[in-house]
Amino acid sequence: MLRISDLKVDRAGLPVIREADLVVEPGRISVLLGANGAGKTTLLEGISGIAPVTGGRIKLGTEAIETNRPTERARKGLAHVEQGRTVFRTLTTEENLRVVGNGVDFARSYALFPELEKRRQVRAGLLSGGEQQMLVIARALLARPKVIMIDEMSAGLAPIIVGRLMNAVRALADSGLSILLVEQFAALALEIGDRAYVLRKGQIVYDGACRPLIENPDLLHRLYLGGGAHA
Amino acid sequence: MNSLLTNAVAGLTAGGAYALLGVCATFTFRLVAVVNFAGAAIGASGAFAFALLVEVGTPIWGGAIAGLLFGALVGVLVGEIMTRWFAEASTSIKAAVSTALLVGVTAVGLRVTGGQRPHEFPELLSGSAFRLLGVEVTNTAIAMLGLAMLFTLLIGLFLNRSHVGLQLRALSERPAAAELIGIPVHQLSLWVWAIGGAATTLALMLIAPQRAPNFLGLSLLVVPALASALIGFFRSFWATLLGGVVIGEMESLISGFSGLGAYRTAVPFLVIIAVLLWSQRGGRWDDAR
Ligand SMILES: Nc1ncnc2c1ncn2[C@@H]1O[C@H](COP(=O)(O)OP(=O)(O)OP(=O)(O)O)[C@@H](O)[C@H]1O
Ligand SMILES: [Mg+2]
Repeated sequence: MLRISDLKVDRAGLPVIREADLVVEPGRISVLLGANGAGKTTLLEGISGIAPVTGGRIKLGTEAIETNRPTERARKGLAHVEQGRTVFRTLTTEENLRVVGNGVDFARSYALFPELEKRRQVRAGLLSGGEQQMLVIARALLARPKVIMIDEMSAGLAPIIVGRLMNAVRALADSGLSILLVEQFAALALEIGDRAYVLRKGQIVYDGACRPLIENPDLLHRLYLGGGAHA
Repeated sequence: MNSLLTNAVAGLTAGGAYALLGVCATFTFRLVAVVNFAGAAIGASGAFAFALLVEVGTPIWGGAIAGLLFGALVGVLVGEIMTRWFAEASTSIKAAVSTALLVGVTAVGLRVTGGQRPHEFPELLSGSAFRLLGVEVTNTAIAMLGLAMLFTLLIGLFLNRSHVGLQLRALSERPAAAELIGIPVHQLSLWVWAIGGAATTLALMLIAPQRAPNFLGLSLLVVPALASALIGFFRSFWATLLGGVVIGEMESLISGFSGLGAYRTAVPFLVIIAVLLWSQRGGRWDDAR
């Protein structure tokens, strides 16, 4: 369970996220949507600790973690899969997994993404975009997180791969993980999501079910661009 | 002929020291992404701690160990400044900060060690190992070369075979991503600074008796160190090692020619300029970064 309240995050000294409230529950997928530059990545970076938080609370389970370093937050069960497929390019696929801990069990990673096993000795920089995305998700899972935040995993990937990833994410949620899924292109994410948030100019302007957004693309459009529709 | 050989053998000690210092510079750059202009100043702190302790009567090996620890500690302090406040800064900003730290550490060092007054540096190793065609090869020269090679070998094994080495390679590539998967980035970085500080101290403790050792002189050995690292493009440890030995040899052989000898300290500068010019043509300097 991840609960953030009244969160403020700055970027280069300017406020980007203002008073954000958001919840991710075990076994559930919260989808966070928003246009380019709305602040989705900044919000995740504030939660995981890469960007400085200037106010508000972040609770992981019952524990407040907003003053912890990123490493400590990770150790406590918060995983953040960054935008842009941040594999360690010079390490092989298997080294990318092994780096998480001595004797981690990557049988689980290969069970989730069999294509990675065939590529275990290949340098991660040489993997395809889809494989790199699978690798960073598998890497994050090896730390056995309770909550995982995934930033724009489908950007630039073929629809068939995006479908694979969405199914995998749904299966992870069904196994009990709390998932915060950030996407710019909403349709597929809303299909697998349980709850939706829309961020515009650093503020959350929608917090509710996914269904209304799927059924009413116009509403979503207005939420992205402004125009005052609140749920 | 014999004087040429004498000079060549003398160059081994300096070359070994430059090699070890250069390997430390490459080590620091590869793992924590800092072109460390303060490297030799950190080592000079440890080396002078050693000399001062022995001056007041500490047994030589006890003083040496204390010096190594002190060098490691100064390394950690510099590392703390770099990782706490400049972790996100660009390579050039970090290089500028390390230059400022060179000035700062040297100023404090000169103050504490009494300005330019030379101290008596005890020789950790004395005597000659063997004679080569009638020329004495000193223990220090052998130890220096051996240490440089051993350190290079150990770093390679450590980075490629150990789990912590794997984590260091990951963090050197993407510190933020490493942090997000729970790698103790801050602690590991400080260990890199500590190891670099101790190894640099060792090199300077060994070479100091051969020089007129004042704090500034030792701190400025960063120039041949960085020139050696540049020969390995701040990537290859073995090329750095070779670079250090070659620079040491060139300096030493030049001093054999009357009229040129006075310019021996210009050798590292010439090497730096030559490597930079050559690398710009091939665009390899960009790859190395
Ligand atoms: N490192 C930074 N320094 C300064 N400003 C930044 C930085 N990162 C982001 N910003 C600014 O913060 C705002 C939000 O950016 P952010 O990357 O969080 O948006 P996003 O919703 O993730 O966008 P995208 O869909 O393009 O990934 C933007 O206006 C951006 O210019
Ligand atoms: Mg983003």
